[in-house]
Amino acid sequence: MGWIDYAYWIALLPLIGFVLELFIGKYTWKQGGIFANLTILGSTIISIGTLIEVLGGARIDVSVPWFYQGIVVGYMIDPLAIVMLCMVSFVSLMIHIYALGYMEEDPDKSLYFAETSLFTCGMLGLVLSNNLLQLFIFWELVGLCSYLLIGFWWYKPEAAAAGKKAFLTTRVGDVLFLLGIILLYYNVSHLPEPLTFQYIFSLEVLEAIPPTHLTAIALLFLGGAVGKSSQFPLHVWIPDAMEGPTTVSALIHAATMVTAGIYLVARTYPIFIASPGALVIVAVLGGFTALFAATLGLVVNDIKRVLAYSTISQLGYMLCMLGVGSIIGAFAVGYSLFHLISHAFFKALLFLCSGVVLHGLADTRDLREMGGLLSRMPITAIAMLIGALSLSGFPLTAGFFSKDRIIETAYEYGVATGDYLPWIFILLAALLTAIYTFRLWFMAFTGEPRSYLAEHAHEGSKIMTAPLIVLAAFALGFGILQSRFYEFVGANFDTHLIGELAHLGGYHLHHGGEVPLIIMILPAICAIGGIAIAAGIWYNNRVDLSRYISKSNPIYRLLWNKYYLDYIFKDLIAERLFGFVALLAEAFDRCIIDGIVNGISRAIIAIGSGLKRIQTGVVETYATAVVIGVVILILLIGGVL
Amino acid sequence: MVPLEWFLILSAILFSIGAYGIMIERNGLKVLMCLEILLNSANINLAAFSRENLMGQEFALFSIAIAAAEVAVGLALLIMLFRYMDTIDLEKFDLLRW
Repeated sequence: MGWIDYAYWIALLPLIGFVLELFIGKYTWKQGGIFANLTILGSTIISIGTLIEVLGGARIDVSVPWFYQGIVVGYMIDPLAIVMLCMVSFVSLMIHIYALGYMEEDPDKSLYFAETSLFTCGMLGLVLSNNLLQLFIFWELVGLCSYLLIGFWWYKPEAAAAGKKAFLTTRVGDVLFLLGIILLYYNVSHLPEPLTFQYIFSLEVLEAIPPTHLTAIALLFLGGAVGKSSQFPLHVWIPDAMEGPTTVSALIHAATMVTAGIYLVARTYPIFIASPGALVIVAVLGGFTALFAATLGLVVNDIKRVLAYSTISQLGYMLCMLGVGSIIGAFAVGYSLFHLISHAFFKALLFLCSGVVLHGLADTRDLREMGGLLSRMPITAIAMLIGALSLSGFPLTAGFFSKDRIIETAYEYGVATGDYLPWIFILLAALLTAIYTFRLWFMAFTGEPRSYLAEHAHEGSKIMTAPLIVLAAFALGFGILQSRFYEFVGANFDTHLIGELAHLGGYHLHHGGEVPLIIMILPAICAIGGIAIAAGIWYNNRVDLSRYISKSNPIYRLLWNKYYLDYIFKDLIAERLFGFVALLAEAFDRCIIDGIVNGISRAIIAIGSGLKRIQTGVVETYATAVVIGVVILILLIGGVL
Repeated sequence: MVPLEWFLILSAILFSIGAYGIMIERNGLKVLMCLEILLNSANINLAAFSRENLMGQEFALFSIAIAAAEVAVGLALLIMLFRYMDTIDLEKFDLLRW
C-alpha cells in the first residue's frame, strides 16, 4: 500500500476542512483559517507522495457501482491527473497561507475559508474523477463556489452582480457540456460492455459512434470548456469577477476554476482527435481568444482586470495548443498542460502581488493612481517583475519554455496544413502580452507616485510575502523540468492508440518537422520587443499617449467598450431577446397554466353553488328522499328494475 | 290461530302510516310519534315470526327498551328546541342551511 491507494483523501481532506471551518472555524485560532490550511497542506503532501509513485510507474483506477448499470463513482490517477492535482493543491495552499494575512481583518473569515476549501475540494474532485458524470458534478460544485466567492462581499452591488454574471455565463457552457454527455451516453449505452461515462476511449468504442455525432460531442464539450475557461465569446464574466477578494481571483485564475475547461479537453482528447474538424475549431478559437483578450488588456486601467484579460489570453494559448496538436498527437496534451501549470504559478504570483498592492493602497485598483511603488514595497515589486517576465515569455523563465513550444507547434501546424492563422494570432498575442504586462508593471511600480495613497503605501506582512517568494521561485525555475514533463504527461495516452484515432478523425501526424531558426527565436523577440515598447512608452515617456487615449479615437472606443460584447449580451440578448421570450412565457403562464388551474376551481365552485339548492333544510324533504331511495334499493335488490 | 299474513298486513299498514307521517308532518312531536309507529310495525313483524322459538320476542323486547330511550332523548331535544325557538315546527330550524 502506497500513497496512491489513499489518493481519494486529496479531495476528501478539503471537504472536511470545509465542514470544520463552517461550523467551528469561528471559535479557533484567529477566527478561522486553520482547518482550511491544514487540510490543504495534507492534500499537497498526499499529492506529492502520489506523484513520486506515479513517476515510478504506478497507476490506479478504482470504481464502485452507483445507481445504474455502468454508472460508477471512483477515482483515477494517471500522469495527467497527478500533475493537475499537485499544481492545484500546491498553488491553493500558497493562496490559503497568503489569505491568512490578506483576509485578516474580514469579519466573515471562517466563512471565506470554508468556501475556498470547498472550491479546492471541487477542483481536486474534478481532476480525480474517473468518469464524466462525476466530473460534471464537481464541475458544477466549482461553478457554485465561484459564484459564492466572487460575490463574497455581497454588500457591494457590483460584487453581487459579478457573482450572478459569472454563474449565468458559465451556465451556458455547462448546459452544452451536459448535452455532450447525454449525446455520448446515447451513442455508447447500447454497446455490449457499457463503459458509459468512464474515460476508456478505445478504438472500438469511438469507431462505433458516427463521425457527425463524434464531432457534435467534441464541440459540445468544447462549449463547456469555453464557458468554464472563459474563452471567446463566454469570457465576459472574468473581468467582472475581479470584484471578489484578490485571493479568490488568484484561486479562480491559477488553480481551481478556469483550468477545468482545459483539463476537460485534455482528458477527452481521444474524442477530439477522433472527430473530424473539431480540433481545427479548437485551434482557431483558442488562437483568436488569445489575441482578442490581449488587445483588451492594453486599455483597462484596473490592475486586476489587466491580469484577468491576460488569463483569458493565456487560456487561449492552451486551447490553441490542444487544437494544433492534431499534427503531433498525444504530446499535445503534455505541451498544453506544461503551459497550464507554469501559468498557474506565475498567475497566482501576479494576483497575490496585486493583492499586496491593493492592501497597501486601501483597495485602489486604478493603475493611474499608483506609481513609484518599487521603493515602497520592494519584495512585491521584484516578485511581480518575475511574474510579469514569466507571463511575457522572457527567455529562461517558465513562461518562455511553455509558450515558446506552443508557438513553434502552431508554426509546424501551419506548415503541415497550410493554415497559419493560429500561429499569427498567438504570435501577435505574445507581443501584446509583453506590452500590456509591462505597462502594468511600469505604471504601478516606477515613476512618481500619482496619488496620496501611493505615497504612503507599505509592504505586506511576512505571511503574505512568503508565498510570493515561493511562487516566484517556481515561476522562474519551473522551465528546467520541460523535457521531463513532456515525456511524463505526453505518455498519458497510448501513442499508438492516438495515432489510430487521428487516422479515424482524418488528421495526419507529423514528426520532427524542421523549424527555421528565425521562427524559433521569434517568440523571444516578441517578448523582448514588447517589453522594450512598454518601457519606451510608460517608463521613458517617449510617446505622448494622451493623443490616442480619447473617446473620439474609434479604436480606443472599441477597446474601451470591450468590443461592445457586454452591450450585445446584456442589452440585446439578455434584455431585448430574452425580455421578449420572457413576455411570451409570462403570457403562457398567466393565461394557459393559471387559466387551467383557476378554471378547475371556478367550475367546481359553480357546480357546488348549483347543487347546494337541494339542501333545503326541511327535514321532511330529506325523509322523503330517504324513503324513495330505500324503495328504489329494495326494488333493485328484488330484481324488479 | 291468526294467520301470519294478517300480522304482516297490519305491520305494512302501520309502516306506511309512519313513513307518510314523517314525510309530510311539520310538527316535531308528530314526527316523533310517527317514528314510534314505524318502530312498532317492525316489532310486530318480529313478534309474528317468533312461532317456533322465542328469539323474535326477545328482539322485540330489546327494541322496545331502546325505543323508550330514544323517545326520551327525542322529547328532551324537542323541549330544548321549544325553549329556544318557541316552536317545534321543523321548517323553522334552518340555521345551518346555505
